[in-house]
Amino acid sequence: MSGAAVVDGMENGGPTLRLEDVHKSFGDLHVLRGVELEVAKGEVICVLGPSGSGKSTLLRCINLLEPPERGRIFLEGREITCSEGRERQTDTDFVRRRVGIVFQQFNLFPHMSARDNVALAQEKVLGRDRSEARKKAEGLLARVGLSDKLNEYPDRLSGGQQQRVAVARALAMDPHVMLFDEVTSALDPELVKEVLDVMRELADEGMTMIVVTHEIGFARDVASRVVFMDEGVVVEQGAPEQVLGNPREERTKRFLGLVLEH
Amino acid sequence: MDFILEYYFDLSVIKDNFGSILDGFWVTLKLSIISGALALAWGLVLAVLRQVPGRPAAPVRWLTIAYIDVFRGVPLLLVLLLVSGGLSTLSSPIGGEVIPREIGIPTWFGETSFFWYGVIGLTATYGAYMAEVYRAGIEAVPGGQMEASRSLGMSHGRAMRYVIVPQAVRKVIPPLLNDFIALMKDTSLVSVLGAVEVVQAGRDIQSDEFNGSGLVFGAILFLIVTIPLARLVDWLIARQQGRTQRGGKPVPKGTTGTAGGGITT
Repeated sequence: MSGAAVVDGMENGGPTLRLEDVHKSFGDLHVLRGVELEVAKGEVICVLGPSGSGKSTLLRCINLLEPPERGRIFLEGREITCSEGRERQTDTDFVRRRVGIVFQQFNLFPHMSARDNVALAQEKVLGRDRSEARKKAEGLLARVGLSDKLNEYPDRLSGGQQQRVAVARALAMDPHVMLFDEVTSALDPELVKEVLDVMRELADEGMTMIVVTHEIGFARDVASRVVFMDEGVVVEQGAPEQVLGNPREERTKRFLGLVLEH
Repeated sequence: MDFILEYYFDLSVIKDNFGSILDGFWVTLKLSIISGALALAWGLVLAVLRQVPGRPAAPVRWLTIAYIDVFRGVPLLLVLLLVSGGLSTLSSPIGGEVIPREIGIPTWFGETSFFWYGVIGLTATYGAYMAEVYRAGIEAVPGGQMEASRSLGMSHGRAMRYVIVPQAVRKVIPPLLNDFIALMKDTSLVSVLGAVEVVQAGRDIQSDEFNGSGLVFGAILFLIVTIPLARLVDWLIARQQGRTQRGGKPVPKGTTGTAGGGITT
Protein backbone atom coordinates (compact mmCIF):
# COMPACT_ATOMS: atom_id res chain seq x y z
CA MET A 1 0.00 0.00 0.00
CA SER A 2 2.55 2.56 1.09
CA GLY A 3 5.60 0.99 -0.43
CA ALA A 4 7.65 4.15 -0.79
CA ALA A 5 7.35 5.24 2.82
CA VAL A 6 8.20 1.82 4.16
CA VAL A 7 11.31 1.59 2.00
CA ASP A 8 12.38 5.02 3.21
CA GLY A 9 12.07 3.79 6.76
CA MET A 10 14.18 0.75 6.10
CA GLU A 11 16.96 2.87 4.65
CA ASN A 12 17.22 4.71 7.95
CA GLY A 13 17.85 1.47 9.77
CA GLY A 14 14.32 0.25 10.36
CA PRO A 15 11.13 2.06 11.19
CA THR A 16 10.88 4.22 14.29
CA LEU A 17 7.53 2.67 15.04
CA ARG A 18 5.91 -0.53 13.84
CA LEU A 19 2.46 -1.79 14.76
CA GLU A 20 1.45 -5.36 13.99
CA ASP A 21 -2.14 -6.49 14.30
CA VAL A 22 -2.92 -4.23 17.27
CA HIS A 23 -6.25 -4.90 18.99
CA LYS A 24 -7.93 -3.02 21.81
CA SER A 25 -11.37 -3.40 23.36
CA PHE A 26 -13.20 -1.52 26.06
CA GLY A 27 -15.62 -4.07 27.43
CA ASP A 28 -17.73 -5.22 24.51
CA LEU A 29 -16.52 -2.40 22.32
CA HIS A 30 -13.83 -3.68 19.96
CA VAL A 31 -12.17 -0.38 19.06
CA LEU A 32 -8.97 -1.45 17.32
CA ARG A 33 -9.36 -4.52 15.14
CA GLY A 34 -5.89 -5.26 13.88
CA VAL A 35 -4.03 -2.07 13.07
CA GLU A 36 -0.91 -2.35 10.90
CA LEU A 37 1.29 0.70 10.62
CA GLU A 38 4.92 1.63 10.10
CA VAL A 39 6.37 5.04 10.74
CA ALA A 40 9.83 6.01 9.57
CA LYS A 41 12.06 8.52 11.30
CA GLY A 42 11.09 12.08 10.42
CA GLU A 43 7.76 11.11 8.91
CA VAL A 44 4.65 13.13 9.64
CA ILE A 45 1.65 10.84 9.60
CA CYS A 46 -1.80 12.40 9.62
CA VAL A 47 -4.50 10.01 10.74
CA LEU A 48 -7.99 10.78 9.51
CA GLY A 49 -11.23 8.96 10.08
CA PRO A 50 -14.76 9.28 11.41
CA SER A 51 -15.27 9.59 15.14
CA GLY A 52 -15.19 6.22 16.81
CA SER A 53 -12.83 4.83 14.20
CA GLY A 54 -10.13 4.26 16.83
CA LYS A 55 -7.72 7.07 15.97
CA SER A 56 -7.32 8.37 19.51
CA THR A 57 -7.18 4.89 20.96
CA LEU A 58 -4.38 4.12 18.52
CA LEU A 59 -2.28 6.99 19.88
CA ARG A 60 -3.06 5.96 23.44
CA CYS A 61 -1.93 2.43 22.67
CA ILE A 62 1.31 3.66 21.17
CA ASN A 63 2.38 5.37 24.38
CA LEU A 64 0.82 2.61 26.49
CA LEU A 65 -1.76 4.81 28.20
CA GLU A 66 -4.01 1.99 27.01
CA PRO A 67 -1.97 -1.19 26.69
CA PRO A 68 -3.18 -3.10 23.64
CA GLU A 69 -4.50 -6.56 24.39
CA ARG A 70 -3.28 -8.23 21.23
CA GLY A 71 -0.66 -7.51 18.63
CA ARG A 72 2.81 -6.06 18.91
CA ILE A 73 4.24 -2.58 18.89
CA PHE A 74 7.92 -1.92 18.22
CA LEU A 75 9.51 1.39 19.10
CA GLU A 76 12.98 1.94 17.62
CA GLY A 77 13.25 -1.79 17.12
CA ARG A 78 12.29 -2.79 20.65
CA GLU A 79 9.02 -4.50 21.38
CA ILE A 80 7.05 -2.52 23.96
CA THR A 81 4.01 -4.75 24.21
CA CYS A 82 4.03 -7.98 26.13
CA SER A 83 2.04 -10.99 25.14
CA GLU A 84 -0.47 -10.82 27.98
CA GLY A 85 -1.14 -7.19 27.15
CA ARG A 86 -0.16 -6.10 30.64
CA GLU A 87 1.80 -3.01 31.44
CA ARG A 88 5.48 -3.59 32.16
CA GLN A 89 7.25 -0.80 33.98
CA THR A 90 10.51 -0.99 32.03
CA ASP A 91 8.63 -0.69 28.74
CA THR A 92 6.47 2.11 30.04
CA ASP A 93 9.53 4.12 31.03
CA PHE A 94 11.22 3.36 27.71
CA VAL A 95 8.15 4.53 25.81
CA ARG A 96 7.29 7.58 27.88
CA ARG A 97 10.82 8.93 27.53
CA ARG A 98 10.70 8.67 23.78
CA VAL A 99 7.11 9.44 22.93
CA GLY A 100 5.44 12.73 23.77
CA ILE A 101 1.71 13.30 23.50
CA VAL A 102 -0.47 16.38 23.29
CA PHE A 103 -4.14 15.97 24.20
CA GLN A 104 -7.33 17.49 22.89
CA GLN A 105 -8.13 18.94 26.33
CA PHE A 106 -4.58 20.30 26.92
CA ASN A 107 -4.48 18.79 30.41
CA LEU A 108 -2.14 21.47 31.72
CA PHE A 109 -1.51 21.41 35.46
CA PRO A 110 -3.82 24.19 36.67
CA HIS A 111 -1.92 24.82 39.90
CA MET A 112 1.33 25.70 38.16
CA SER A 113 2.56 28.53 35.97
CA ALA A 114 3.26 27.90 32.30
CA ARG A 115 6.96 27.66 33.07
CA ASP A 116 6.48 25.16 35.89
CA ASN A 117 4.16 23.09 33.70
CA VAL A 118 7.06 22.69 31.29
CA ALA A 119 9.72 22.28 33.97
CA LEU A 120 8.05 19.81 36.37
CA ALA A 121 8.65 16.51 34.61
CA GLN A 122 12.15 17.56 33.57
CA GLU A 123 13.03 17.82 37.25
CA LYS A 124 11.07 14.89 38.60
CA VAL A 125 11.61 12.42 35.75
CA LEU A 126 14.81 13.41 33.97
CA GLY A 127 16.48 14.69 37.14
CA ARG A 128 17.48 18.03 35.67
CA ASP A 129 18.17 20.64 38.30
CA ARG A 130 15.68 23.41 38.77
CA SER A 131 17.54 26.19 37.00
CA GLU A 132 18.34 23.99 34.03
CA ALA A 133 14.72 22.82 33.74
CA ARG A 134 13.41 26.36 33.97
CA LYS A 135 15.87 27.60 31.38
CA LYS A 136 14.84 24.85 29.00
CA ALA A 137 11.17 25.66 29.73
CA GLU A 138 11.75 29.31 28.93
CA GLY A 139 13.48 28.39 25.67
CA LEU A 140 10.64 26.12 24.62
CA LEU A 141 7.94 28.61 25.57
CA ALA A 142 9.77 31.21 23.49
CA ARG A 143 9.81 28.75 20.63
CA VAL A 144 6.00 28.41 20.75
CA GLY A 145 5.67 32.20 21.02
CA LEU A 146 4.85 32.50 24.71
CA SER A 147 7.90 34.22 26.22
CA ASP A 148 5.59 36.81 27.76
CA LYS A 149 3.43 34.18 29.51
CA LEU A 150 6.04 32.34 31.59
CA ASN A 151 4.41 33.14 34.92
CA GLU A 152 0.78 32.92 33.84
CA TYR A 153 -1.43 30.15 35.16
CA PRO A 154 -3.40 28.06 32.67
CA ASP A 155 -6.73 29.67 33.55
CA ARG A 156 -5.32 33.00 32.42
CA LEU A 157 -4.36 31.65 28.99
CA SER A 158 -6.51 31.20 25.91
CA GLY A 159 -7.10 27.69 24.59
CA GLY A 160 -4.56 28.20 21.84
CA GLN A 161 -1.96 29.41 24.31
CA GLN A 162 -2.69 26.52 26.66
CA GLN A 163 -2.24 24.06 23.85
CA ARG A 164 1.08 25.62 22.88
CA VAL A 165 2.24 25.27 26.48
CA ALA A 166 1.20 21.62 26.26
CA VAL A 167 3.35 21.19 23.14
CA ALA A 168 6.30 22.81 24.91
CA ARG A 169 5.73 20.56 27.93
CA ALA A 170 5.89 17.44 25.78
CA LEU A 171 8.97 18.69 23.88
CA ALA A 172 10.78 19.36 27.16
CA MET A 173 11.27 15.63 27.55
CA ASP A 174 13.23 15.48 24.27
CA PRO A 175 10.90 12.95 22.65
CA HIS A 176 11.80 11.10 19.49
CA VAL A 177 8.16 10.83 18.44
CA MET A 178 5.31 13.26 19.06
CA LEU A 179 1.67 12.22 19.11
CA PHE A 180 -1.06 14.81 18.61
CA ASP A 181 -4.56 13.75 19.58
CA GLU A 182 -7.05 16.13 17.91
CA VAL A 183 -5.18 19.00 19.46
CA THR A 184 -7.21 21.71 17.75
CA SER A 185 -10.67 20.18 18.15
CA ALA A 186 -11.40 21.94 21.45
CA LEU A 187 -10.24 25.32 20.18
CA ASP A 188 -12.25 28.22 18.87
CA PRO A 189 -11.65 28.59 15.14
CA GLU A 190 -9.50 31.70 15.39
CA LEU A 191 -7.10 29.94 17.76
CA VAL A 192 -6.48 26.89 15.59
CA LYS A 193 -3.86 28.43 13.34
CA GLU A 194 -1.40 29.38 16.08
CA VAL A 195 -1.28 25.76 17.22
CA LEU A 196 -1.02 24.33 13.71
CA ASP A 197 1.82 26.76 12.95
CA VAL A 198 3.79 25.40 15.89
CA MET A 199 3.21 21.85 14.66
CA ARG A 200 4.18 22.78 11.13
CA GLU A 201 7.47 24.21 12.39
CA LEU A 202 8.10 21.04 14.36
CA ALA A 203 7.48 18.95 11.25
CA ASP A 204 9.87 21.12 9.25
CA GLU A 205 12.55 20.48 11.86
CA GLY A 206 12.25 16.76 11.19
CA MET A 207 10.28 15.56 14.22
CA THR A 208 8.58 12.21 13.76
CA MET A 209 4.91 12.91 14.30
CA ILE A 210 1.60 11.11 14.31
CA VAL A 211 -1.21 13.61 14.08
CA VAL A 212 -4.84 12.62 14.59
CA THR A 213 -6.72 15.53 13.11
CA HIS A 214 -9.76 16.79 11.28
CA GLU A 215 -7.73 19.56 9.66
CA ILE A 216 -7.62 18.35 6.07
CA GLY A 217 -5.66 21.41 4.98
CA PHE A 218 -2.93 20.69 7.51
CA ALA A 219 -2.79 17.06 6.38
CA ARG A 220 -2.50 18.10 2.75
CA ASP A 221 0.32 20.58 3.40
CA VAL A 222 2.35 18.95 6.12
CA ALA A 223 1.81 15.20 6.11
CA SER A 224 4.33 12.94 4.47
CA ARG A 225 1.66 10.28 4.58
CA VAL A 226 -2.06 10.27 5.25
CA VAL A 227 -3.64 7.28 6.97
CA PHE A 228 -7.39 6.78 6.80
CA MET A 229 -8.91 4.67 9.57
CA ASP A 230 -12.39 3.31 9.94
CA GLU A 231 -13.89 0.74 12.29
CA GLY A 232 -10.59 0.03 13.98
CA VAL A 233 -8.44 -0.71 10.96
CA VAL A 234 -6.29 1.23 8.51
CA VAL A 235 -8.43 1.40 5.40
CA GLU A 236 -6.09 3.30 3.15
CA GLN A 237 -2.80 5.13 3.35
CA GLY A 238 -0.50 6.96 1.03
CA ALA A 239 0.76 10.34 -0.07
CA PRO A 240 -1.61 13.18 0.84
CA GLU A 241 -2.33 14.04 -2.80
CA GLN A 242 -3.36 10.46 -3.43
CA VAL A 243 -5.48 9.76 -0.33
CA LEU A 244 -7.08 13.17 -0.20
CA GLY A 245 -7.22 13.90 -3.93
CA ASN A 246 -7.84 10.52 -5.41
CA PRO A 247 -8.87 8.02 -2.74
CA ARG A 248 -9.08 4.39 -3.79
CA GLU A 249 -11.43 3.12 -1.11
CA GLU A 250 -15.15 3.80 -1.06
CA ARG A 251 -15.13 4.53 2.69
CA THR A 252 -12.39 7.13 2.26
CA LYS A 253 -14.32 8.85 -0.50
CA ARG A 254 -17.49 8.94 1.57
CA PHE A 255 -15.67 10.38 4.60
CA LEU A 256 -13.84 13.04 2.59
CA GLY A 257 -17.10 13.93 0.91
CA LEU A 258 -18.67 14.60 4.29
CA VAL A 259 -15.69 16.48 5.69
CA LEU A 260 -15.00 18.66 2.65
CA GLU A 261 -18.65 19.57 2.11
CA HIS A 262 -18.75 22.43 4.56
CA MET B 1 -37.66 33.05 85.25
CA ASP B 2 -35.00 34.37 87.56
CA PHE B 3 -34.21 30.83 88.48
CA ILE B 4 -33.55 29.94 84.85
CA LEU B 5 -31.33 32.97 84.31
CA GLU B 6 -29.44 32.20 87.45
CA TYR B 7 -28.93 28.55 86.55
CA TYR B 8 -27.56 29.24 83.08
CA PHE B 9 -26.14 32.74 83.24
CA ASP B 10 -24.83 33.37 86.74
CA LEU B 11 -21.95 35.75 86.07
CA SER B 12 -20.55 35.37 89.57
CA VAL B 13 -20.17 31.61 89.04
CA ILE B 14 -18.38 32.25 85.78
CA LYS B 15 -16.18 34.86 87.38
CA ASP B 16 -15.24 32.60 90.30
CA ASN B 17 -14.33 29.73 87.98
CA PHE B 18 -12.98 31.73 85.06
CA GLY B 19 -9.47 30.33 85.37
CA SER B 20 -10.43 26.67 85.56
CA ILE B 21 -12.79 26.95 82.60
CA LEU B 22 -10.13 28.68 80.49
CA ASP B 23 -7.63 26.00 81.54
CA GLY B 24 -10.15 23.40 80.36
CA PHE B 25 -10.62 25.19 77.08
CA TRP B 26 -6.89 25.34 76.58
CA VAL B 27 -6.84 21.52 76.86
CA THR B 28 -9.72 21.39 74.36
CA LEU B 29 -7.76 23.57 71.94
CA LYS B 30 -4.59 21.51 72.30
CA LEU B 31 -6.52 18.28 71.79
CA SER B 32 -8.24 19.74 68.72
CA ILE B 33 -5.17 21.16 67.06
CA ILE B 34 -2.87 18.19 67.67
CA SER B 35 -5.50 15.60 66.74
CA GLY B 36 -6.68 17.72 63.82
CA ALA B 37 -3.18 18.06 62.38
CA LEU B 38 -2.45 14.36 62.84
CA ALA B 39 -5.83 13.36 61.37
CA LEU B 40 -5.19 15.59 58.33
CA ALA B 41 -1.92 13.78 57.68
CA TRP B 42 -3.20 10.30 58.53
CA GLY B 43 -6.29 10.80 56.38
CA LEU B 44 -4.16 11.75 53.40
CA VAL B 45 -1.98 8.67 53.89
CA LEU B 46 -5.10 6.49 54.00
CA ALA B 47 -6.60 8.15 50.92
CA VAL B 48 -3.42 7.62 48.91
CA LEU B 49 -3.03 4.01 50.10
CA ARG B 50 -6.59 3.37 49.06
CA GLN B 51 -5.71 4.37 45.49
CA VAL B 52 -2.39 2.55 45.08
CA PRO B 53 -2.64 0.96 41.63
CA GLY B 54 -1.81 -2.53 40.47
CA ARG B 55 -2.76 -6.05 41.38
CA PRO B 56 0.08 -6.69 43.88
CA ALA B 57 -1.13 -3.72 45.94
CA ALA B 58 -4.68 -5.06 46.23
CA PRO B 59 -4.23 -6.21 49.88
CA VAL B 60 -3.07 -2.71 50.79
CA ARG B 61 -6.23 -1.26 49.29
CA TRP B 62 -8.47 -3.80 51.04
CA LEU B 63 -6.83 -3.23 54.41
CA THR B 64 -7.18 0.51 53.99
CA ILE B 65 -10.83 0.24 53.04
CA ALA B 66 -11.45 -2.11 55.99
CA TYR B 67 -9.78 0.34 58.35
CA ILE B 68 -11.83 3.27 57.06
CA ASP B 69 -15.06 1.28 57.27
CA VAL B 70 -14.38 0.19 60.83
CA PHE B 71 -13.43 3.59 62.20
CA ARG B 72 -16.22 5.40 60.42
CA GLY B 73 -18.72 2.85 61.65
CA VAL B 74 -17.81 2.65 65.34
CA PRO B 75 -18.66 5.34 67.94
CA LEU B 76 -15.71 7.51 68.90
CA LEU B 77 -16.49 6.92 72.58
CA LEU B 78 -16.02 3.20 72.08
CA VAL B 79 -12.73 3.76 70.28
CA LEU B 80 -11.53 5.99 73.12
CA LEU B 81 -12.41 3.38 75.73
CA LEU B 82 -10.66 0.62 73.77
CA VAL B 83 -7.55 2.74 73.22
CA SER B 84 -7.16 3.84 76.83
CA GLY B 85 -8.11 0.51 78.34
CA GLY B 86 -6.01 -1.47 75.88
CA LEU B 87 -2.85 0.60 76.09
CA SER B 88 -2.86 0.96 79.86
CA THR B 89 -3.66 -2.71 80.50
CA LEU B 90 -1.29 -4.19 77.93
CA SER B 91 1.62 -2.21 79.37
CA SER B 92 0.82 -3.36 82.92
CA PRO B 93 1.71 -6.67 84.62
CA ILE B 94 -1.95 -7.80 84.24
CA GLY B 95 -1.65 -7.50 80.46
CA GLY B 96 1.70 -9.23 80.32
CA GLU B 97 3.56 -5.97 79.63
CA VAL B 98 3.45 -6.56 75.86
CA ILE B 99 3.64 -2.83 75.27
CA PRO B 100 6.45 -0.66 76.70
CA ARG B 101 5.21 1.49 79.55
CA GLU B 102 6.21 4.78 77.86
CA ILE B 103 3.77 3.97 75.06
CA GLY B 104 1.11 2.27 77.17
CA ILE B 105 0.87 5.20 79.57
CA PRO B 106 2.21 8.09 77.49
CA THR B 107 3.01 11.38 79.20
CA TRP B 108 4.83 13.06 76.32
CA PHE B 109 5.40 16.84 76.43
CA GLY B 110 4.01 17.00 79.96
CA GLU B 111 0.47 16.03 78.93
CA THR B 112 -1.51 13.36 80.75
CA SER B 113 -1.97 9.87 79.38
CA PHE B 114 -5.73 10.64 79.05
CA PHE B 115 -4.81 13.47 76.75
CA TRP B 116 -2.75 11.20 74.52
CA TYR B 117 -5.37 8.43 74.48
CA GLY B 118 -7.73 11.14 73.29
CA VAL B 119 -5.31 12.23 70.57
CA ILE B 120 -4.88 8.63 69.40
CA GLY B 121 -8.62 7.91 69.33
CA LEU B 122 -9.54 11.19 67.65
CA THR B 123 -6.78 10.80 65.06
CA ALA B 124 -7.73 7.19 64.29
CA THR B 125 -11.40 8.06 63.82
CA TYR B 126 -11.13 11.44 62.12
CA GLY B 127 -8.31 10.15 59.91
CA ALA B 128 -10.88 7.74 58.50
CA TYR B 129 -13.43 10.53 57.95
CA MET B 130 -10.87 12.78 56.34
CA ALA B 131 -9.60 9.96 54.12
CA GLU B 132 -13.04 9.88 52.56
CA VAL B 133 -12.97 13.63 52.03
CA TYR B 134 -9.55 13.43 50.37
CA ARG B 135 -10.77 10.57 48.23
CA ALA B 136 -13.61 12.71 46.93
CA GLY B 137 -11.08 15.42 46.14
CA ILE B 138 -8.73 13.04 44.34
CA GLU B 139 -11.60 11.64 42.31
CA ALA B 140 -12.70 15.17 41.40
CA VAL B 141 -9.36 15.87 39.68
CA PRO B 142 -9.98 15.23 35.96
CA GLY B 143 -8.55 11.95 34.67
CA GLY B 144 -6.58 13.86 32.06
CA GLN B 145 -4.27 15.14 34.81
CA MET B 146 -3.05 11.65 35.66
CA GLU B 147 -2.75 10.78 31.97
CA ALA B 148 -0.75 13.90 31.23
CA SER B 149 1.56 13.18 34.16
CA ARG B 150 2.02 9.55 33.16
CA SER B 151 2.63 10.50 29.53
CA LEU B 152 5.48 12.73 30.74
CA GLY B 153 7.08 9.71 32.36
CA MET B 154 6.00 10.30 35.96
CA SER B 155 5.26 7.27 38.08
CA HIS B 156 1.86 6.98 39.75
CA GLY B 157 3.41 8.11 43.03
CA ARG B 158 5.07 11.18 41.55
CA ALA B 159 1.92 12.11 39.68
CA MET B 160 -0.05 11.88 42.93
CA ARG B 161 2.48 13.91 44.83
CA TYR B 162 3.11 16.75 42.42
CA VAL B 163 -0.06 16.90 40.33
CA ILE B 164 -3.10 15.15 41.78
CA VAL B 165 -2.88 15.66 45.54
CA PRO B 166 -2.04 19.40 45.40
CA GLN B 167 -5.15 19.97 43.30
CA ALA B 168 -7.29 17.61 45.39
CA VAL B 169 -6.33 19.27 48.68
CA ARG B 170 -7.34 22.69 47.38
CA LYS B 171 -10.75 21.34 46.44
CA VAL B 172 -11.41 19.75 49.83
CA ILE B 173 -10.23 22.42 52.27
CA PRO B 174 -13.85 23.43 53.11
CA PRO B 175 -15.09 19.91 53.92
CA LEU B 176 -11.87 19.23 55.86
CA LEU B 177 -12.55 22.32 57.96
CA ASN B 178 -16.06 21.01 58.59
CA ASP B 179 -14.55 17.78 59.84
CA PHE B 180 -12.23 19.80 62.03
CA ILE B 181 -15.21 21.57 63.61
CA ALA B 182 -16.79 18.19 64.31
CA LEU B 183 -13.53 16.90 65.74
CA MET B 184 -13.24 19.89 68.03
CA LYS B 185 -16.69 19.25 69.47
CA ASP B 186 -15.91 15.55 69.88
CA THR B 187 -12.90 16.31 72.07
CA SER B 188 -15.48 16.58 74.87
CA LEU B 189 -15.74 12.78 74.81
CA VAL B 190 -12.17 12.54 76.07
CA SER B 191 -13.49 13.75 79.44
CA VAL B 192 -14.81 10.23 79.94
CA LEU B 193 -11.22 9.02 80.15
CA GLY B 194 -10.40 11.56 82.84
CA ALA B 195 -9.02 14.48 80.89
CA VAL B 196 -10.23 17.83 82.23
CA GLU B 197 -11.11 19.73 79.08
CA VAL B 198 -13.67 22.48 78.97
CA VAL B 199 -16.78 20.32 79.25
CA GLN B 200 -15.39 18.40 82.21
CA ALA B 201 -14.39 21.70 83.84
CA GLY B 202 -17.97 22.91 83.44
CA ARG B 203 -19.35 19.65 84.84
CA ASP B 204 -17.16 19.93 87.91
CA ILE B 205 -18.59 23.38 88.57
CA GLN B 206 -22.10 22.11 87.87
CA SER B 207 -21.82 19.35 90.44
CA ASP B 208 -20.10 21.59 93.02
CA GLU B 209 -22.43 24.56 92.77
CA PHE B 210 -25.62 23.12 91.24
CA ASN B 211 -25.24 25.70 88.50
CA GLY B 212 -24.82 25.28 84.73
CA SER B 213 -23.22 28.65 84.01
CA GLY B 214 -19.76 27.12 83.70
CA LEU B 215 -21.02 24.81 80.94
CA VAL B 216 -22.69 27.74 79.18
CA PHE B 217 -19.42 29.65 79.30
CA GLY B 218 -17.74 26.59 77.79
CA ALA B 219 -20.33 26.56 75.03
CA ILE B 220 -19.61 30.23 74.31
CA LEU B 221 -15.90 29.49 74.08
CA PHE B 222 -16.65 26.73 71.55
CA LEU B 223 -18.78 29.10 69.48
CA ILE B 224 -16.07 31.76 69.48
CA VAL B 225 -13.92 29.31 67.53
CA THR B 226 -16.47 27.32 65.53
CA ILE B 227 -18.64 30.15 64.17
CA PRO B 228 -15.73 31.99 62.49
CA LEU B 229 -14.55 28.63 61.14
CA ALA B 230 -18.02 27.98 59.68
CA ARG B 231 -18.01 31.43 58.08
CA LEU B 232 -14.53 30.74 56.70
CA VAL B 233 -15.83 27.52 55.14
CA ASP B 234 -18.72 29.41 53.53
CA TRP B 235 -16.36 32.06 52.21
CA LEU B 236 -13.96 29.48 50.77
CA ILE B 237 -16.81 27.65 49.05
CA ALA B 238 -18.17 30.87 47.59
CA ARG B 239 -14.71 31.76 46.34
CA GLN B 240 -14.26 28.35 44.73
CA GLN B 241 -17.60 28.58 43.01
CA GLY B 242 -16.78 32.04 41.75
CA ARG B 243 -13.54 30.77 40.31
CA THR B 244 -15.28 27.86 38.60
CA GLN B 245 -17.78 30.18 36.99
CA ARG B 246 -14.95 32.29 35.65
CA GLY B 247 -13.54 29.21 33.95
CA GLY B 248 -10.76 28.51 36.41
CA LYS B 249 -11.38 24.80 36.50
CA PRO B 250 -10.72 22.61 33.48
CA VAL B 251 -14.00 22.55 31.61
CA PRO B 252 -14.57 19.97 28.91
CA LYS B 253 -14.89 21.03 25.29
CA GLY B 254 -14.69 24.54 23.99
CA THR B 255 -12.49 25.76 26.82
CA THR B 256 -11.17 29.26 26.48
CA GLY B 257 -9.23 31.01 29.19
CA THR B 258 -10.53 34.14 30.83
CA ALA B 259 -7.64 36.29 29.73
CA GLY B 260 -7.93 34.99 26.19
CA GLY B 261 -10.79 37.37 25.67
CA GLY B 262 -13.32 35.08 27.30
CA ILE B 263 -14.48 33.93 23.91
CA THR B 264 -17.35 31.51 24.01
CA THR B 265 -19.03 30.15 20.96
